[in-house]
Amino acid sequence: MSKLLKIALGIFTSIGGFLEVGAIATTAQAGAAFGFSLIWAVVLGTICVIFLVEMSGRLAAVSHHTIKDALRERFGPRIYMVTLVSDVLINFLVLAAEIGGMSLALQLVTGISFRWWAIPTGFLTWLLLWKGSFGLIENGVSLLGMVAIAFVVAAWKLDPPLPEVLAGVIPRLPPHQPVHYWFTAVSILGAAISPYLFYFYSAGAIEDHWDEDHIGVNKAVATVGMTFGGVLATAVLVVAALVLHPRGIEPQRYEQIALLLAEPLGRAGFYLFAGTLLVSCLGAALELGLATAYCFANGLGWNWGENVRPRDAARFTLSYTVMIALASILMVAGIDPLQLTLFSMALTSLTLPIVTFPFLVLMNDRDYVGEYGNHWISNAAVIAISLLASVLALAAIPLQLMGG
Amino acid sequence: MMGTARELRVEELLGRIVRTAAGRPVGRIEDITAEPEGEDYVVREVILGDVGLRARLFALAAQLPTFQSLGLGGPYRTRAIPWHWLDFSDPSKPRFVQPGEKP
Amino acid sequence: MQLGRQVLDQQLVDRNDVNMGKVDGLVLELREGGPPRVAAILTGGHLLARRLHPRLETWAKRLMQSWGPDQVEPLRIPWEKVKKIGVDVKVDVAAADGMPWEHWVRDHILCHIPGA
Repeated sequence: MSKLLKIALGIFTSIGGFLEVGAIATTAQAGAAFGFSLIWAVVLGTICVIFLVEMSGRLAAVSHHTIKDALRERFGPRIYMVTLVSDVLINFLVLAAEIGGMSLALQLVTGISFRWWAIPTGFLTWLLLWKGSFGLIENGVSLLGMVAIAFVVAAWKLDPPLPEVLAGVIPRLPPHQPVHYWFTAVSILGAAISPYLFYFYSAGAIEDHWDEDHIGVNKAVATVGMTFGGVLATAVLVVAALVLHPRGIEPQRYEQIALLLAEPLGRAGFYLFAGTLLVSCLGAALELGLATAYCFANGLGWNWGENVRPRDAARFTLSYTVMIALASILMVAGIDPLQLTLFSMALTSLTLPIVTFPFLVLMNDRDYVGEYGNHWISNAAVIAISLLASVLALAAIPLQLMGG
Repeated sequence: MMGTARELRVEELLGRIVRTAAGRPVGRIEDITAEPEGEDYVVREVILGDVGLRARLFALAAQLPTFQSLGLGGPYRTRAIPWHWLDFSDPSKPRFVQPGEKP
Repeated sequence: MQLGRQVLDQQLVDRNDVNMGKVDGLVLELREGGPPRVAAILTGGHLLARRLHPRLETWAKRLMQSWGPDQVEPLRIPWEKVKKIGVDVKVDVAAADGMPWEHWVRDHILCHIPGA
């Protein structure tokens, strides 16, 4: 297969999972409340995730280890367990939010409460993991995820003022409501820099048998793929800024976020929104389920792999089964999916350094990445952005809890 | 269980602090090296690092070129000590026993 | 060869390239008049719990007594069975002999779901 075709396919597959309920909810909030002011958070998050995704691919290609695998080997079981607990907890909350997103999409279209849809959508997610192969999930998720381009179309139709949009790229202080501003910024960062994305990516690189020849492809895929996702997220923000902000609507419910597409695209837009929400969340849920199973299996030495039959990777299969079941139950219990989404994104930001620092050490360790170690720019960028996200989250989360 | 009198467990030795008979800390066991000898792998050396939280944080920082260029992580060093310089009769309290030598 | 960095906590792989767990423990055999030799690899059981915290080990042991497979002691693989140490540690053993939890999950939980 020609290199170009490989890159194109790779880009497609990496898009899936970037625009999901977290990205949609956080950028919609940002656009509605603050216009274009928070575009810099999307940009910063996208830059950081490009570095991290590229690193996870490079680690897998050169060392033939996944991140969790290498983490346990290099740092021992204690540090592995700390990262595992943090990852599993956050993945669980985000997975519940994605199931909530799917359920809400169905609620939008049918009028039946999302709590009734939690089990069916959870079951669908599980069934696809149980029956599917890695290639099917990788490609299926991304191809379906292309429907998110509806947001770009909507943004273009609304004719946004380019100078103001570009001005939003520059980080700035809050125009008003500082706590809400920083909390939203933190949530956007957490939505963009989701650890499950690069756990999934690194395990995928191993499942696809990458080696040093793939380093160039990896760079292209990570950069273009994640940039495309960043563009999608920015499109959501821009549409929210043009549709909701002038009306002073701050979305408290997903029905209001649906206005984003219903306004510019009419009735079709409403269904497009529901469809985008459903498909994007499904993709993310699949990746989350797998990423969690990888976290357990890679560090504990279990047999693993989506291409392996369930009976040959029993504990691996059990872990995603239990995760999905518990997450669905959380949604049946009726937790507000939108609030859960915003919170789990903020928590992701808070715990970023726990995930990124050991990972960075690995990426500079010759025993793992040989001569393909990190450039100092990658190190500096990831350290800076992780610290920024975490410190902001440390301040913003309690304040939001007290005030909101 | 630390193993019978004839056995030691590597994972329980790593991280222990080696002290002199007087109790002065010499270093922290970072790793143990072994070499093939005939059919077996035989232990050769124990690698000791500095003691203390500050030292270990520096060790971590030293891994990242970013911090290195900032000047951190400089002073951390490790030394390789021959196995027979250490006494493991009490595995939880490794003793440095090479007399007359500065560790 | 550095036992901590290159052997401990590495992935264990059996003779058919099936994952068997991680190297959770490494046994040194002390000898008279000479340095110790590397005697065996240990994996599974409550070893991981023990390395995390002693109390966790007690709790894990108690859990395993009432629930799960019968064989709960860590598997001991003689060092002679180690074939290659590189990306992972390849041992000349059949995984089926040493994965009680994996088989237990398969036979007690997964078997109830069609299509396993």
